[in-house]
Amino acid sequence: MEIKIKHLFFCLLFGMLAFASCQKNSADISIPNKPVVVGYLIPGQPISVKVYQQKALDDTATYGAVITGLSLKLSDGSQTVTLTESAKGTYTYSDAFLTTGKTYTLQFTYQNALVSAQTVLPAKPVNYTATKTLINLPTGTGSPNSVDSVADTFRWNNPDSLYHVLVFKNDETAPFQVSGRGTPLVNFTVNVNKTSEYQIYYRSFNYIGTYRAILYGVNKEYIDLLNAQSGSSSQNLTNIPTNVNNGLGIFTAMQADTIKLTLTQY
Amino acid sequence: MKRLSVPLLLFLTIACTHAQAQQTQKILKKSIVDHFFSCPLDEMLDTLSLQYKVRFIFEREPIHGMDVVEHFFNEPLIDALKLVCKQNDLQYWIENDGTIYILQQPDDLDRLKQLNAMNKSLSAVKPKMLEPPKGPPTRFMFSISGRVVDQNTGEALPGAIVSVRNSDVNTATNTSGNFTLLNVPADTCVLEVSYMGYQPDKFRLDDEKIKGSMVLPLFPSMNALNEVVITDKKHGVINTDSKKVSVLQLTPAALDKLPNIGERDILRSFQLMPGVSGTNESSSGAYVRGGTPDQNLVTFDGFTVYQVDHLYGFYSAFNPNAVRDVEMYKGGFSSKYGGRLSAVTEIRGKDGNKNETNFGGDLSLLSINLYGETPLNKNSSFLVAFRRSYQGPLYDKIFGQFNKSTTTTGPGGGGPGGGRGFMNQTTPSSYFYDFNAKYTYSPSDKNTFSWTYYSGTDHLDNSRDLNFPSFVSSYSSDLKVNDYTKSGNIGTSGKWVSTWGKKLFSNTVISYSQFNSDRDRGTTGTVTDSGTTTNINNGTYEYNRLKDLSLKSDWEWQAGSKYKVLFGGYGSYLDIKYRYTQNDTTSLINQHNNGAITGGYTELQYDPNSDLHIQPGIRETYYSPTGKIYTEPRLSATYHFTDRFNLKMATGRFYQFTNRVTREDILNGDRNFWVLADKNNMPVSSANHYIAGFNYETKDFLIDIEGYYKQLNGLTEYSIRQQGGGPFNASTTSTITENYYTGNGWAKGIEVLLQKKVGVYTGWIAYTLAQSKSKFAAYGNDYFPSDQDVRNEFKWINMYHLQRWSFAATWIFSTGHPYTAPLGSYTINTVDGNKVTYLTISDKNAERLPAYHRLDLSATYDLLKVDGRKIGSIGFSLFNAYNHINTWYKEYTIQNNQVVTSNVNYLGLTPNITLSLRWK
Repeated sequence: MEIKIKHLFFCLLFGMLAFASCQKNSADISIPNKPVVVGYLIPGQPISVKVYQQKALDDTATYGAVITGLSLKLSDGSQTVTLTESAKGTYTYSDAFLTTGKTYTLQFTYQNALVSAQTVLPAKPVNYTATKTLINLPTGTGSPNSVDSVADTFRWNNPDSLYHVLVFKNDETAPFQVSGRGTPLVNFTVNVNKTSEYQIYYRSFNYIGTYRAILYGVNKEYIDLLNAQSGSSSQNLTNIPTNVNNGLGIFTAMQADTIKLTLTQY
Repeated sequence: MKRLSVPLLLFLTIACTHAQAQQTQKILKKSIVDHFFSCPLDEMLDTLSLQYKVRFIFEREPIHGMDVVEHFFNEPLIDALKLVCKQNDLQYWIENDGTIYILQQPDDLDRLKQLNAMNKSLSAVKPKMLEPPKGPPTRFMFSISGRVVDQNTGEALPGAIVSVRNSDVNTATNTSGNFTLLNVPADTCVLEVSYMGYQPDKFRLDDEKIKGSMVLPLFPSMNALNEVVITDKKHGVINTDSKKVSVLQLTPAALDKLPNIGERDILRSFQLMPGVSGTNESSSGAYVRGGTPDQNLVTFDGFTVYQVDHLYGFYSAFNPNAVRDVEMYKGGFSSKYGGRLSAVTEIRGKDGNKNETNFGGDLSLLSINLYGETPLNKNSSFLVAFRRSYQGPLYDKIFGQFNKSTTTTGPGGGGPGGGRGFMNQTTPSSYFYDFNAKYTYSPSDKNTFSWTYYSGTDHLDNSRDLNFPSFVSSYSSDLKVNDYTKSGNIGTSGKWVSTWGKKLFSNTVISYSQFNSDRDRGTTGTVTDSGTTTNINNGTYEYNRLKDLSLKSDWEWQAGSKYKVLFGGYGSYLDIKYRYTQNDTTSLINQHNNGAITGGYTELQYDPNSDLHIQPGIRETYYSPTGKIYTEPRLSATYHFTDRFNLKMATGRFYQFTNRVTREDILNGDRNFWVLADKNNMPVSSANHYIAGFNYETKDFLIDIEGYYKQLNGLTEYSIRQQGGGPFNASTTSTITENYYTGNGWAKGIEVLLQKKVGVYTGWIAYTLAQSKSKFAAYGNDYFPSDQDVRNEFKWINMYHLQRWSFAATWIFSTGHPYTAPLGSYTINTVDGNKVTYLTISDKNAERLPAYHRLDLSATYDLLKVDGRKIGSIGFSLFNAYNHINTWYKEYTIQNNQVVTSNVNYLGLTPNITLSLRWK
């Protein structure tokens, strides 16, 4: 017993020393100093990556302070480009650079440590259809828990069970709310996971007007982020998954197809 | 039996056998007084003494001052005695030697006994306490067996010490009160029997007794106040307790002397001892030596109890009125027990009074507790007990605490209730009840059959009206959220205790235990929107059933004076269902597992000489879901260095096949349920214990020190996380993520117990220095402090006895529990343009809550009858007397982009009053 405790103790000590010595070599950034990286690679949109700090717990700002003056490099395996800082903390590259199936690596140095993230551009959704594009919301569905029926069905090809999300975006300047459900979000994401069909219920719509139903083919890292919850008590706090080494946040590629919907209620 | 009595001074002495107290009772009842007394009380007693040949002991001076003027017309002597005692505010007490003591105060007994002893030694003729041997011894070196019972109730007394006077032949009674003594030197020897809370007694052997199985009855002591409530060792020069390692024993009778919140509580009392964490107010389950409550096997009369909590852990599931005694093994336990990694708590129910009908109960500010016991005929007895909580004055305070109560710290103020939004807050209504019944039938000395039934249920109704503030004028709703939880345990067992001759005992139990936990949550009502009314009915339903059908047979064979062999077999069939459905149709989780656990064990208790005790054992278990055989070697040993100084050690391997897991539910509270280990996700967990220690015991004090090291492998954390669903997101079906995390851990520590065992002041100091760490790949590659890791825990228990009052003060101090804290936050824009804020967190359990401490006080007043018997008590207690704010956990909510921290606290100052009464 004695020997085992000692053994364990030395193991631990050794481990701690090893860990401490690593830190000196600046391979890792301590948790509070890790930069937050948010970048979505979407063909047809300019590449834009934001880098900012975390916030202190009592900070009332929406985002942490931006990190400027970085040199962000994006590589597709054969070609490496440098992003330009178009606004403070926002690094962009506007030329067409994205090809389906290619692996993109983002790298930069922050506090003498290498921060990197990698993602693959998934395929564009194929045969994306909706059974209806004109949806008239029945009255009386605005309640929080009413039993209602399917408003629309979206289908797409997904023979390989790839990850998808459906994003609903309202294009009105002042969306008109029709439900009595507090103040729900105007735009929302449905995690449809690996399926090839999604039925949306009337109840999901709280506003009328023009909506874009955008189907994104996404990577698992984005699904993981959507599913993650920090937890709300010291008994269940968990770390949020990230694909950014030495950092936090998300760097992921996706491709979209869009169907325009018109929502009314009369 | 009756011998000639010799008048001596003013006293009269009767040569006594063990039945002398009964003899005295008989005289008191049968003798008729027809006399006119007009004299001081002492003279009356002298007269009675001479006339009826009973022996009174009293202090002459004060008694002489009391005058009696009374004419008794053919009245029983006992009535006359009661009358004069009542008139003069006195009590009488019949000791087991038949002497009647006349007491002004309960504490006078000790002094009078000394007086009695002095008078005896001064007197020319000694009172004979024992029958003399009937003749010279005729038989030598033979074995005897018998049973030690309570004289008044016939209840067996397990753990009583039986020894042959002037020899080192001794033993302790087993769980059914039976004992065997080998190599008794001669048939004229005297047996000495002692047991906590009872008057020690002596019994002369004779031909009659040694032939069959003898019954040795003990009388309760007048006042159990000076007795140790919980003890590592019982009184006695040498006893088998020092042959056991890491054992705690408890008799519920004296529990009302300790402070309590709701009611005296069996499992909570163990929390005052070293090695059992005393800071988990929200759980009756025991955190033993860095283990979790589900690593503690709890059995009640042989069946496993899967839910040991009532009312958020505030009560334990066991009614003290139905419990005879409890033993907790903190580690290194015998191969007789298995299936858990850390500890075993064995609770044995009362058989019920075999001699007379009795009933009683307790009433506190939170619950009512009633019991009755009766002999049914010469051979059988029956006991029934019932408890129920009600919404008394303490209810809101306690329930509010455990449901939702926060104090906000940190910047920004902000209210509590993360995620609760604008739902109305109501105090849910909740209650528990439990019911115990036991029937015992003893057709002969050799066989006893008993049947036990236990049922305990918690009902929690958290239903409330749900009406959202509407921003649309055409909208109105009449909605109700039903949230109804019912959970509990039903168990029943049939037990057959048999004596197969003098050297072989068996104990066979067939049992069934069922754990159930259901939650029905949903929304019903109507909604009117723009003139259209819609009926609403949806929700989720959670269903968990564990069924455990077991058969177990334990045998004890006294193979020789140095060898005792324990062996047995067991088999359990477990069936666990867990269903989680939404809107009656969508099945989110549907698990149905079953498995059989069968095996056998054997253990040798070997005493090569009177100082050394070695106990090797082995346990073999076949577990059907994995199809493997698990071998658990065990070993414990004790060495009596001197009469006072013992060394002890234990080691062993332990397996666990069932785990209690948690479904995290941030909005509605976590739910616990049981699952079986399998081949894939949930490994069979195992532990190795290494324990060593010593104790030093004098007549008054006990010092006990033990160190332990425990390796834990194959630990599982299983959590189910739910996305979607719920009232705000009802349109989408919930998705469930099941996480299986497996890892390892270890725990080590040193426990110190310093106890003052006798006197008007008793108590103990318990100190534990401990460490418990775990490593789960999901949380990183390093060991992190386990949730239950506490470095220092100090408990100081003080009990002071003054006549009918007893006072207790317990102070518990523990360094803080670990917790995981947020270090910062960050916000990410998702592709739909919405913002999501996340927390960055410290290493798992890297932070510590502030130290936990509290002082509990209690005062208990005993209600004594005129014959000195206790018929009840009134207890006042103050929990957390100086109202220290102890943090349970912290909650984090994001408001106005800030992370607001709120502390969820344990109970503050809570007073309680308990009234206990019994008929006889």
